[in-house]
Amino acid sequence: MTMLKNIGSLMLIASLCSGVAYAEEKPVVGLIMKSLANEFFRDMLEGTKEHEKSRGDYVLKAVGMQNETDFQSQINAVENFITQEVDIIVVAPADSRAMIRPLKKAIEAGIVVINFDVSLDADAKKKQNLELAFVGPDNRSGAKLAGVALANKLGAGGKVVIIEGNPGADNAIERKKGFMDAIEEHDLELLASSTAHWETEEANSVFSNMLTANPDIQGVMAANDSMAIGVIKALEAAGRAKDIQVVAFDNIPAVGPMLADGRLLATVDQFGRDMAANAIEKGLAVHRGGPELSGWIKTDIKLVEASK
Amino acid sequence: MLAASIETLATSKENNDSRILSVKNLCKNFGGVKALQGVNFDLVKGETHALVGENGAGKSTLTKILTGVYHYDDGDIILKDNIYKPNSPKSAKQSGIQVVHQEFNLLTYLSIAENICFESLPKTKLGTLDKKKMHQRARLAMDTVGLGDIEVTTKISELGIAHRQLVEIARALEFKSDILILDEPTATLTQREVEKLFTILEKIKHSGVTVVFISHHLNEVFNICDRVTIFRNGKTITTKEIKDTNPQDVVSLMVGKALEQVMAQQSNQKHFGSIALEVKNLVIPQSPNAEGINFCVRKGEIVGIAGLVGAGRTEILRTIFALQEKISGQVLIDGLPVEFKNPRDAVNARLAFVTEDRKDEGLILDMSIATNSSLASISQVSNAGLMDFEKENQLAADFAKKLGLRFGKLKDNVASLSGGNQQKVVLAKWLSTNPKLLMLDEPTRGVDVGAKAEIYSILRSLALDGMALIVVSSELPELMTLCDRILVLSNHQVTGELEQQSFSQEEILQLAYKNM
Amino acid sequence: MQSEMKIDMPAQHKKMSLKAIVRDAGIGIALLVLILIFSITTEHFLAPNNITNILTQITINLILAVGLTFVILIAGIDLSVGSVLAFACVVAGKVITIEGLDANTAIFLAVIASLLAGTLCGLLNGLISAYWGLPSFIITLGMLNIARGGALHISEAQTIYSFPEQFNDFGSASLFGIPVVFLVALLLVGIAGFVLHKTVFGRMIYGIGNNEEAVRLAGHPVFWYKVMAYTICGLMAGIAGIVYMARLNISSPIAGIGFELNAIAAVIIGGTSLMGGRGSVYGTLLGAFIIGVLANGLILLGLNDFMRQMITGVVIIVAVVLDHYREKMTTGS
Repeated sequence: MTMLKNIGSLMLIASLCSGVAYAEEKPVVGLIMKSLANEFFRDMLEGTKEHEKSRGDYVLKAVGMQNETDFQSQINAVENFITQEVDIIVVAPADSRAMIRPLKKAIEAGIVVINFDVSLDADAKKKQNLELAFVGPDNRSGAKLAGVALANKLGAGGKVVIIEGNPGADNAIERKKGFMDAIEEHDLELLASSTAHWETEEANSVFSNMLTANPDIQGVMAANDSMAIGVIKALEAAGRAKDIQVVAFDNIPAVGPMLADGRLLATVDQFGRDMAANAIEKGLAVHRGGPELSGWIKTDIKLVEASK
Repeated sequence: MLAASIETLATSKENNDSRILSVKNLCKNFGGVKALQGVNFDLVKGETHALVGENGAGKSTLTKILTGVYHYDDGDIILKDNIYKPNSPKSAKQSGIQVVHQEFNLLTYLSIAENICFESLPKTKLGTLDKKKMHQRARLAMDTVGLGDIEVTTKISELGIAHRQLVEIARALEFKSDILILDEPTATLTQREVEKLFTILEKIKHSGVTVVFISHHLNEVFNICDRVTIFRNGKTITTKEIKDTNPQDVVSLMVGKALEQVMAQQSNQKHFGSIALEVKNLVIPQSPNAEGINFCVRKGEIVGIAGLVGAGRTEILRTIFALQEKISGQVLIDGLPVEFKNPRDAVNARLAFVTEDRKDEGLILDMSIATNSSLASISQVSNAGLMDFEKENQLAADFAKKLGLRFGKLKDNVASLSGGNQQKVVLAKWLSTNPKLLMLDEPTRGVDVGAKAEIYSILRSLALDGMALIVVSSELPELMTLCDRILVLSNHQVTGELEQQSFSQEEILQLAYKNM
Repeated sequence: MQSEMKIDMPAQHKKMSLKAIVRDAGIGIALLVLILIFSITTEHFLAPNNITNILTQITINLILAVGLTFVILIAGIDLSVGSVLAFACVVAGKVITIEGLDANTAIFLAVIASLLAGTLCGLLNGLISAYWGLPSFIITLGMLNIARGGALHISEAQTIYSFPEQFNDFGSASLFGIPVVFLVALLLVGIAGFVLHKTVFGRMIYGIGNNEEAVRLAGHPVFWYKVMAYTICGLMAGIAGIVYMARLNISSPIAGIGFELNAIAAVIIGGTSLMGGRGSVYGTLLGAFIIGVLANGLILLGLNDFMRQMITGVVIIVAVVLDHYREKMTTGS
């Protein structure tokens, strides 16, 4: 078994030698994404490919995952990139703790590591003695923007529910915190909060049931647009589309029509398409000898509101 | 030697001290079913005592009571002057009663020694397994059953069925039993192995162990037993000295006169028609020979195929029925060559095949009698793919009546039927397709004597109606009772073909061993 | 004897269906208990709107479970139904949004496309596992990935939206308060029940599940019956795909993740044996109701996500254990 592994890595190195020779001058960027089944990341990857083409001064190697929580493949990907001696690793971690050790190894191997999309856990970073900057949007303040938009529409005392993302996922946690910030600051009343695992059909069912239990709901905060679509369908089925407001997050194309006719009050665009490209820009700058990055380099977020 | 021992037994019979076990008026009910309603017999120390009777006559219930699996409701069992009422198999063993079951209870991937000593593995002072002692004990037990040449470290999985049976017996003997009950010990053995087993039983008997021998094979009973107790409908009919009776009497006591009627039918004049099946140079994958098998079956004829296990009997039937591919050769039905790709083709050509393995291939045990009866003729009881349940029940009822099926309701699962009645359902399944050729592989395996006679009679009357039949069987008396002609196979070659007037057990056996 | 038989037969028939009812009622009692508990403990459980919701919510699971009943009855399994749903859904989404088609043609073609896509996946599952006699567990696990990958590839991982209005209307239409999509599912249950209990094909499905070899030896084309069972399962996933689209007015390539597990649970809770040969599609209907009622009622109770998940697990196990004892009781007598 080890024998096989050794042969395997030898072959890998051999194949890499030719690769390195080809890309002698251009730095190699290893991009580790989350699930490409998620259209947010898929879109991001497209944006990055365009970026690579338009700049033309680096080589992109991108890896996607099976699903949102597949951190094992991400760890493998980091290790492979170390073996391949890439110059820069740009990573959207699937797990904010599990990724720390392999990324530390990469830094020790002299690779510039940029963390984007989801921040690594601060405590864990400290314990492992890792200094690493984070390039990404502030999910919490984004969600708060949406929450505030809802609060402004409903006024103080408005009764709301939250449809959460996957339990334990960092962006799900951050977005919920942002919604809660808006609720507290604007004196909204939270009736219920439940996960629908980012999924339309589940959100539809879960929200229908919430509405039955709490017929006095006035507003819904959905942690992503896909779930908001399910919520809006449920509202239509119940004949409550007019008097219950929905806000969400992501600004995917499918919610365009809903924003246009006001079924969706607002969503948050975090310019996902450019996010990885931005992180790569930052990495390239450091690679060329620019100053080391530290702390949280926030990327743009914007509230997109209904046109009606 | 044998005669002498029987004589001593006969004299000792009056002596009450040698009576090791007596059973008086034993009764056992399961809910409303009276399984035993008055069982009386006794065992004399050192004798070999046969229990015979149809399936369901009460032999296994008695065995289970004696070995502590069931409690009895009424009556007495006296074991060595004490009331015997075991409350678990363990306490039965401690009282000196051991049973060797039909099904093996061996741990396949452990060694012989471990199996033999499993119930009380010897330990060293440190509490670890004392392998030396274990091997010694196992060696001794194996020697008693005549397997001195087999290493006790051999795994059970490496042993043949006959040897496994003997290891079971060795295991039972290792426990110092006074009474050893053997439940159908020869069911899976070949003639040679049976003989070997009998020599060993003779030895065991002389060491003072009383052997209770349960068997459907009367020839075996008459071969080795001293006395026989006959069961019918949960009662003991009588106990007889073997030297004072004969198989015909015993069968009559068990079932009445059914078998004799079959024998009578045999003598009726027969008319064989044209050739229904002809096999030319058939070479099957299992055969080591280049040249194939040739034979034919005429309409109205019952052809038996005899031979040892592995001679290729079953495989020939399976090849004809397209359950396996042939290497070369030809099969002709009504004179025309056929090439079946699968059993479906064979069924469409009106062939029928009662397989050896009723449970795995013949029946759907957990489905109803009606479902099983119509399984091969479902087009007769359906219309454009829709089931016609009335027709189906009618068909099943008709065949149940024709074949004398004993059952509760047609919707009962066939699993609830006795072996003989299950086999009748298999026959119903095939007869409903109105076959030209009926092939049967071990048609009375696990079938009691009464049902056996009925099945013989059914098969004979099918032949009289012009059907062609092939019967493969390991029981020579069965073939000799049933068939018009017997084909003997030895190592995938036909070594002989006997007409009814020249049937003899010796000749068949000689032919069967010819190529070995 | 003969005439006795004839008189006996109708009575036998009645008894048979009565016993079947008792058998299915076992799990029905569990359902009634659940309904009773939720009616007492929650305010809105029996409200007409909530009942409509429950019916809508169990529709997709029920349709998948009906298909799975066929496969599980022949002692197979189909893990790919959730992915096949997504694949069919995305194919139909692509078709229905083709520009320049008039609405009715687009809908018609989309439905056909979805059914074809599902049927094709099921057919492949069946052909491959039956031809080589391979465990359907692993073959359909492969199909799970193929169909999911196919759905993502075709849709480029984008949610497809903006379907014709009449299509969307169908998804939210109801008849006397009963959602039309649920009626579709109920119709499928009825058809499946008819096929399983009244046709030769159904008989063969049960026969194969109990003893494949005996059925083959009796001269039946077992291979094709098995392929048919998987194909029906795929077709049901295709229908579920269309229903998903009509209900939510989107096609999502990540639709139906994990749906196979709920559908299998519905079939097993409904009394169908994983070993094959025993069970009925009416039991599956009840199984789907149990899962749906549970999901609905627990939210009405206001329990948090994790408690809900735990309770759902407990109820699945309890239902199956109880069913085991009930089965023992009915066959024991």
